[in-house]
Amino acid sequence: MPFAIETRDLHFRPGGGFEISNLSMHVPTGSLYGFLGPNGAGKTTTIRLLLGLTPKQRGTITVLGRSMPSDYVEVMARTGYVPERPHLYPTLSVDETLRLHSAFHTRWDDTWANELKRQFGLIGDRRVASLSKGETGKLMMLLALAQQPELLVLDEPTDGLDPVVRRDVLEALLAYVSSHAATVLISSHLVHELERICDWIAVMDRGRMVAELPMQEFKDGIKRLVIADAARALGETPFTVLARKQGSGGGEQWLVRGWTNGMREYFVSTGGTLREVIDLDLEEGFVELLRSFRGAA
Amino acid sequence: MTGKPTRWRALFETQWKWTRSVLLLISLTTFAIPLLSLRSSVGARDESLFISSMQTWAVAYAFAAAGVGLLTAMLAWAYDHRLRHVYALSLPIERWRYALMRFTAGITLIALPIATLLVGAEIVAHSALVPKTLHSYPIALTLRFTFAALVAYSVFFAISSATARTAGYILAAIGLMFALNIVLRAAGSRIDLPGYLTDLFLAAPGLLAVFGGRWMLVDV
Repeated sequence: MPFAIETRDLHFRPGGGFEISNLSMHVPTGSLYGFLGPNGAGKTTTIRLLLGLTPKQRGTITVLGRSMPSDYVEVMARTGYVPERPHLYPTLSVDETLRLHSAFHTRWDDTWANELKRQFGLIGDRRVASLSKGETGKLMMLLALAQQPELLVLDEPTDGLDPVVRRDVLEALLAYVSSHAATVLISSHLVHELERICDWIAVMDRGRMVAELPMQEFKDGIKRLVIADAARALGETPFTVLARKQGSGGGEQWLVRGWTNGMREYFVSTGGTLREVIDLDLEEGFVELLRSFRGAA
Repeated sequence: MTGKPTRWRALFETQWKWTRSVLLLISLTTFAIPLLSLRSSVGARDESLFISSMQTWAVAYAFAAAGVGLLTAMLAWAYDHRLRHVYALSLPIERWRYALMRFTAGITLIALPIATLLVGAEIVAHSALVPKTLHSYPIALTLRFTFAALVAYSVFFAISSATARTAGYILAAIGLMFALNIVLRAAGSRIDLPGYLTDLFLAAPGLLAVFGGRWMLVDV
């Protein structure tokens, strides 16, 4: 499988006790890759490392087949980036910002930029400093899209935006991805948002990659099992038990990962009784995954 | 939005926007200094008093040159610093090339106060109010101003482009020098570190020597 982004043994220690350690990341080409993690997990730092905005201390980073940060000029010419915080010059107007950005991107599509400006309701002569948070978010997304990138790296692009603006921004993103087959790395702590649009998911916590797999596999594989005679069922399970909780009447609830329906046989063979298999949504799975990771750590 | 500018022009336009108010003010000043110096000298009884009256304005040229260099350099980087350079770093351009473009855009902007100084100086040179026995040097004065403004701009551009940490190191080094000087003096030494450094930079062939010397528009 070709990867738009690949890291190996990435290490970065900015100080203050936090570190990104042995981070291996694989963003498949053409995927919508959701990068989940609680605040302070290291998502923004990782993104900055990927794009050469922060120098790595160890490890390798390959973006669009080029080595980073040494090939950052080629990579940034093919990458649209929306940072966590607004990064645009506040004294420029919307039109001046577009003009400045267009000068640096050879694939800039002026017609589409104007179409997006109209679609987003941005007024050309308004100063960036006078834009609302939602308008600034739209402008940053416009800049990233109109340069027609092969890769979009979006760091909490909808954080703090109202639902209407969020929908506009995500619709424009999805329209672009479907027409250009671009790869998207989107970081967020808004789990439901990623659940709706992503086909790959990665979970990061405390500077480490906790999980990285296709979204469907993640959602299908994480289940809550309601078990009677749980003591009998303990042993070499074909799935990973992330957490155990006492249920009523001597039963237990297990949070498991890597579950498939064929594994029901396991309970028959051990004498345990599987009463129920409960689907978890991404948020529950995410929370339980983090709990088990932190517990193990 | 109309047309796609070159990268240099796009950066130049941003710098023009950030600098233009200050630049226009300094340009008016550089235009006015020769005229004001002439006006204050016209009533002089003889040539030597005329020259000495003109000379009292010399410091104004030096200050204007330092000011235009300082402000143009600081404003070239001010917004990038404020945005922690994220926008600049995310552009597909080598960092040295970006800095060079910002630098040359600033130099281009400095041409405006230089031009207005030349116009003001030429007006004075062609004025009938300058005594016939004296000579005017508008080109020489403008060249001196240009060189001084470029030196100031280059020095401040280099300092402004550095990180806050580097600026802190520079300030700390200066503070340390003064502290060391106080200790040396208290110990009876006659070493004058600030004086030595001032001579090193301001006396020829020091880096800032252009700011010393005669800034004379009218001389013998």
